[in-house]
Amino acid sequence: MTSLHTSSNSAIKETMLKKALSRIKRSIWVFHLNTGSCNGCDIEVLDVLTPYFDVERFGIKLVASPRHADLALLTGPVTIKTLSKVYKALSAMPRPRFVLAIGSCAVGGNIWFESYSTIGGFPKALEIFSEMGLEIDGVMYVPGCPARPEAIIYGAATLLGLQKPKSKYRRLKA
Amino acid sequence: MVKFLKILPIATKTGTVTIKYPYQEPLVTESFRGAIEVDPAKCVGCGACTRICPPKALTLTLEGNTMILKYFVGRCIFCGMCADTCPEKAISVTKEFELATGNVFDLYTDIEHEVKTCSICGKSFISKKLGDKVASKVSDIPSETMDLCPDCRRKEALKRFIGALE
Repeated sequence: MTSLHTSSNSAIKETMLKKALSRIKRSIWVFHLNTGSCNGCDIEVLDVLTPYFDVERFGIKLVASPRHADLALLTGPVTIKTLSKVYKALSAMPRPRFVLAIGSCAVGGNIWFESYSTIGGFPKALEIFSEMGLEIDGVMYVPGCPARPEAIIYGAATLLGLQKPKSKYRRLKA
Repeated sequence: MVKFLKILPIATKTGTVTIKYPYQEPLVTESFRGAIEVDPAKCVGCGACTRICPPKALTLTLEGNTMILKYFVGRCIFCGMCADTCPEKAISVTKEFELATGNVFDLYTDIEHEVKTCSICGKSFISKKLGDKVASKVSDIPSETMDLCPDCRRKEALKRFIGALE
């Protein structure tokens, strides 16, 4: 009886999540999460939120708490010190939760990818989070050092499904 | 009370400043550097770019019988030093910055090189193209030394030196 109850519960949860995913596209609230960035990408993120680029065209709005956010604008290579705080902030976000990893630090660790004090980018943090049971519904990686405001808008637009990603793995013969 | 109204003529004079990107061409200046493009026809696999690359976005690895020049855009800082240092001018800096993707593996570009193996120990040491390049540039290297890896070449040179002494 209890197992039946939980299975129907999870099914309801899944349908709710699907509904939320379809509705979220026109009004996505973002939370700015700095994980040890040099502030280059953070300045570009602020640039995106100015009237010049005006991301409120897509319904994107900056909020002060992860509890109100659908999308985390994650910058920086995720240092060891910030890892627990990143976990706390991301687990405070309601489902469906998305992450936009901005800058080459967040994507691949940049020049700190093998440093003792960082874990080397968000993909490695994602492995740790999935081991700990934190589910993230979508991640978009935006390379750039710092990422251009246009690149961040492009990343957000790809996440919302307005654009198709161009990058593809290529293996060429010399 | 109506002090704020003075903003209205200023606003009407300036008009709308908001750009329409992504439904409009992005503002890319002439000096802008984006992702690099490696020409596989020109690349010889010497590895000069992998040594200059500050974040090691370009790496040269040996996978079995192929040497692979791996370019990871996600770690690239777009400094363009690889394009400056490339002896074959195989690397060019493009203006591409729309690289966002949901999968990290889409950010990799691999270039396969055939590898040259040592005729004595069978160890692979350089790419075939680099060997041919060196042979064509330097005429007075005997072909049997060109086929040896640095370790075997040292041993052979010592053998020849001892043979000359005796």
